[in-house]
Amino acid sequence: MNFLAQDPRTVFLGQAVTVAGTAMSTTLKDVPPERRIELPVAEEMQMGMTTGMALTGLIPVSIYPRWDFVLLAINQLVNHLDKVPMMSNGGYKAKAIIRTGIGSQRPLHPQSQHTGDYTEAIRAMCATIEVIRLEDPADIFPAYEKALMREDGRSTILVEYGDYYGEK
Amino acid sequence: MGVQAQPTKEGLMTKDQLIAFEEEIAAQFNAGKIRAPVHLYSGNEEQIIAVFKQIRPQDWVFCSWRSHYQCLLKGVPKEHVREEIMAGRSISLCFPEHRIYSSAIVGGVLPIAVGVAMSIARRGEDAKAYCFLGDMTSETGIAHEAIKYSRNHRLPIHFVVEDNEKSVCTDTREVWNQPRLSLEGFGDEYVSYYHYKTKYPHAGAGVRVQF
Repeated sequence: MNFLAQDPRTVFLGQAVTVAGTAMSTTLKDVPPERRIELPVAEEMQMGMTTGMALTGLIPVSIYPRWDFVLLAINQLVNHLDKVPMMSNGGYKAKAIIRTGIGSQRPLHPQSQHTGDYTEAIRAMCATIEVIRLEDPADIFPAYEKALMREDGRSTILVEYGDYYGEK
Repeated sequence: MGVQAQPTKEGLMTKDQLIAFEEEIAAQFNAGKIRAPVHLYSGNEEQIIAVFKQIRPQDWVFCSWRSHYQCLLKGVPKEHVREEIMAGRSISLCFPEHRIYSSAIVGGVLPIAVGVAMSIARRGEDAKAYCFLGDMTSETGIAHEAIKYSRNHRLPIHFVVEDNEKSVCTDTREVWNQPRLSLEGFGDEYVSYYHYKTKYPHAGAGVRVQF
């Protein structure tokens, strides 16, 4: 996240981005506080705000700790962020980075509503957004670098494995 | 992106010009010349012109599937608006050079407008987001979230509720069993509200077109 924060266009938003709360929170601790926006639990609004900020040229890094929570934002993800290039004949660019994860199952198993992996389903629903599942720690930096630097205006969803935080 | 010049306030299209534009589009649609849905305005010309007297070129305008008047009043040349409509894109007209974004999904533009307003505020830009929504949309959860967040964080945004009493053919007040809608009568820094009666159906222009 520090690499992303070096780009002045990035802003980090979601729940537990300025306070503790998830495994992802700790990865943001060195990002300047003024670049982090703590939001209420309002997943669809968060995704819409992500698109809006991206329309103005910022690169929002929008954080949803679990795929299961992204499901509440599918309307804004699929109908808007993904469709902006088609709706505007390529006129609008809305490049955002969506960071999410597959909930960890060890040492505690949070059961079916917190461990979903919707990578393939969302990949099938999106026409322009690229979905990258980070299968190995070595994949992480190149994937974020691609998401940040890409010049095609597309957004990227990066999917982490919660269990890897403690295991890899 | 660059922002194109907008006509002076004296140069805003007039009520009669707006009506004539929609009537021309209605005729084209009824003649089967537009192979896509159109959603036409009528009866709100004076109210929407009054709103646009405040809107500047650097401001953003967010609309629903019914957006011809906003595009014209924001300064998009009517030939360009007509061209997009004839190409079948009336339902989500977007003109980046004029900072107009429209969506065919109920409530779709609201949180996007909030994000734009937040970006404007963070960068200290002299601009504002204006977001148009209908009466049924004004009762959705996303509308309450977006308006509450914007108001509480004092974002540079204004929501304009246009109440024609229905969504497609459904009576908003009847289905919510609520004679007075939640934002009805609002008129402050963040929300304004007006009523109007349209002569057009929700979509199309009154003639069933067979292709």
